[in-house]
Amino acid sequence: MTAAAEHMPRPKTSSRFLRRSLPYLLSLPALIVCIGILIPFFTAVYYSLLRFRLNLPALKGFIWFDNYLNFLTDAAFWNTVKISLVYAGLTVGVELLLGLGIALLLQKPTRFNNLASILLLLPLMTAPALAALMWKLMTNPNFGILSYLVSLLGFTNFKWASDPSTALLTVTLVDVWVYTPFIMILLLAGLRSLPKAPFEAAALDGVPRSFVFFRITLPMLLPYIITASLFRLLDSIQQFDIVYSMTQGGPGDTLMVFQVQSYLEFFQYTNVGRSAALLIVLWAITYFLSNIFIKQWLKLRERAHGVA
Amino acid sequence: MDHTSNLERIIRGGLIALVLIFFLFPIFWIVLMSFQTNETILRIPPSIFFEPTLSNYSALITGKLKTTAGNLDLAFMKNLWNSVLLSTLSVALSLILGVPAAYAFARFRFRLGEDIAFTLLSFRFAPPLLVLLPLSLYFKQLGLTNTYIGLIWVYQLICLPLILWIVRGYFEDISPDIEHAYRIAGNSWWQTFRKIAVPLAMPGIAAAGLLAFIFAWNNFVFALILASADKQPVTVGALAFVTASGIQYGQIAAAIVLSIAPTLALALYAQRYLVEGLSLGAVKG
Amino acid sequence: MPHLELASISKAFKTNKVLADISLTADAGEIVVIFGPSGTGKTVLLRLIAGVEEPTSGTISIDSQDMADVAPEHRDVGMAFQNFALFPHLNAFENIASPLRARSQSDAQVKSGVGRVAKLLKIDHVLGHAPRQLSNGQKQRTALARALASSPKLLLLDDPLRNVDAKLRFEMRLELPRLLRQAKSTVLYVTQDYKEAMALADRIAVLAEGRFIQIATPADIYRNPATVGVARLFGDPTINLAETTIGADGSIELAGEKVAIDKSYGIFAGKNVSFGVRPEAVEVMNGRGAGLKAQVMAVTPLNERTVLLLQTKAGAELLASLPSSSASIPKAENEVTIAFNPAGTHLFDRETGAALARGRA
Repeated sequence: MTAAAEHMPRPKTSSRFLRRSLPYLLSLPALIVCIGILIPFFTAVYYSLLRFRLNLPALKGFIWFDNYLNFLTDAAFWNTVKISLVYAGLTVGVELLLGLGIALLLQKPTRFNNLASILLLLPLMTAPALAALMWKLMTNPNFGILSYLVSLLGFTNFKWASDPSTALLTVTLVDVWVYTPFIMILLLAGLRSLPKAPFEAAALDGVPRSFVFFRITLPMLLPYIITASLFRLLDSIQQFDIVYSMTQGGPGDTLMVFQVQSYLEFFQYTNVGRSAALLIVLWAITYFLSNIFIKQWLKLRERAHGVA
Repeated sequence: MDHTSNLERIIRGGLIALVLIFFLFPIFWIVLMSFQTNETILRIPPSIFFEPTLSNYSALITGKLKTTAGNLDLAFMKNLWNSVLLSTLSVALSLILGVPAAYAFARFRFRLGEDIAFTLLSFRFAPPLLVLLPLSLYFKQLGLTNTYIGLIWVYQLICLPLILWIVRGYFEDISPDIEHAYRIAGNSWWQTFRKIAVPLAMPGIAAAGLLAFIFAWNNFVFALILASADKQPVTVGALAFVTASGIQYGQIAAAIVLSIAPTLALALYAQRYLVEGLSLGAVKG
Repeated sequence: MPHLELASISKAFKTNKVLADISLTADAGEIVVIFGPSGTGKTVLLRLIAGVEEPTSGTISIDSQDMADVAPEHRDVGMAFQNFALFPHLNAFENIASPLRARSQSDAQVKSGVGRVAKLLKIDHVLGHAPRQLSNGQKQRTALARALASSPKLLLLDDPLRNVDAKLRFEMRLELPRLLRQAKSTVLYVTQDYKEAMALADRIAVLAEGRFIQIATPADIYRNPATVGVARLFGDPTINLAETTIGADGSIELAGEKVAIDKSYGIFAGKNVSFGVRPEAVEVMNGRGAGLKAQVMAVTPLNERTVLLLQTKAGAELLASLPSSSASIPKAENEVTIAFNPAGTHLFDRETGAALARGRA
């Protein structure tokens, strides 16, 4: 080092202010972009308290909670609640059972099982709206392969999504096709991360497998099951893509789940106030669920980081 | 578990085969359809043996559909291009915004930090229409309806939370001492971020970027509400295409194949990271 | 003018106080060893000096300049981390080169600079390796080379030998003093190994529970430990300690037997003390002379010294350390007479643990 360098004064480049504000400076741009999107949320709350129809602007006025109060006696609203809950319960229930079953089948990390689990990701990576179109093609009454297959079983007039009695079944099938892999992949990761010792001890003691499954595997897997189910439940109760692409909520009002109903309320009937109120009700439900979910998820996340 | 009997092995194998058939058959069948003419598609009983044709793809790519009623212009390639543009630019913007923010959340314990992080996370769970419907009215006033900029902005709702939460975990895994060492060696904060933190978190950043791309690509409802035909991505475009082309089933199938191929290819390429990404890091893959 | 000056530094994380009222000066070129058991805040202190953490209160000055607003990269400090903290994506060469590159030296300068320290540390043959390909010893040398590369005026070494195997630690303990003298830097060296501290230090600062309890030369620390704790930390085998009360004639009672040590102890008559005697200060005599009788319970030769475990008639156990060359090393079961060399004995206040001055030099 030269003598000149030795006596060079140290530059004062990092003021304490800059150091303290750095984290805020780093996260601010992301926040600003999101705040722009947060404003409409409050607008929606406000709209839900209005009589507001796009085609009748003169009627616009503040009506407090009338939109919500009207729901109480509105059969269409209760139909929406019912359909949304049934849809969410049915899809998540089936996906959970199926996903758990497949995860158990693929539990051993053999090369074949790993390949299978990767291939099973493909439906999950298919856009749900496009998946609905694929199934629409397969259930087409004229040439759909599935229509043909069920006709071999004797159901010659099986109308899939166009028949009110089978529409729910059909969209559930698509939802199950797309999202079961999600639950499967999470539970598989969970299963493979379980400690080996309890299972080895049980095997040594000759404990029956059903006992091992219900008393060891299932309880240890429970946090994963809860996380995966809540995650799916949050998504499923808001389902739009599959239902809209497949039937637009029909036939009739068979599949008028929350978001489809409010979409039509907004664009077809231009009833902004009612549409917003519907979405606020949905938001309240998801907010409740997501709070439980985030707690669960943080617990799991801590565990995953602790192990890793 | 090592004493699995042959019978059990057979049952397991059979069940796995059934599972694979259920989940892979639709993709297989649509791919087959995309290489068929309407004639062979409508054949009863259906068969997997047919003379393959590329006419569906060529019609989509040239944008000219010959029907008995005359020639029809197809905008499908435009939709495909829109998907590429929207997904790529959205992810790029998300990375620019999200990676520094993820770093801040991982490295600094600062007031509001956790609150901000959770606000961003909660976007992941709110009903999208709740924001989109009022936003469609605002966009009209702002002139953002049916613009790429408006769409890319809204797509941040999909990409940002994903990138933020995955990348944050990767930053947290880097020992702070490594960054300290680089600073003490004589480098500024910014150089340390660029030369140490980002390269070391690169696998996570890449995975988050790929996943965000897939989710942006697969999104339907944002563009359905905020875009018209010329800005629509394939998810919305394909639905319109079905209505427009009526009974050109081979072309519909080909359009679907072209629309899902990029995400499926990416998924296979990045499958290692999918588990972690899908669960926002709750489960390490 | 001291090169480094710490003035009443305190550091707390939330409510957890890690360092309290730390003051220390170091002259240019001096090697100060910060010694203390783990978890006493040694690493935190180095981080504060390096500037990657901020003190809660107090000032750090280098060359009389307050460092509060000086970023780590401008402090001209080299630091070696206990866990090495090598950049995993850069090879050994680039790791060592990083301080030189940050000072925008030319490629030729970087090359010769890295070559110089690599040769010094005998790692010139692994410069192309990635950190994960290096052995622990090579990692440690690379980390040290990186800290030395830019010839910083202040070197902070955080227990660099902690995570290397015993053989390497032994070698490095011999090598390091020469290396550090050559570097001509002021050195703060953190360790919890007292031999390392004794071998390297110009001065040792003993840290316990976030405070310095003694800052002195190694010899001074060994000869005049400020507290019973310091006395216990320095020395192998450790100092013999017994709780006793001083008699009027300055004698002490050891398991019921009166032992005369030093008349000057008389000024502490009646005081409750911890009496300490270094194993080297225990004189062991054969034969039947007058004095404290003890039986040899075990004999353990340790290279140039031999350690005896002794038990007095009344049952008090103590260790003695004799030169192995001594002709008079007793055998186990032997009966011996022991005496204490007053220079190797210490009295500590039983309540505070502080050393009691003996009224002589």
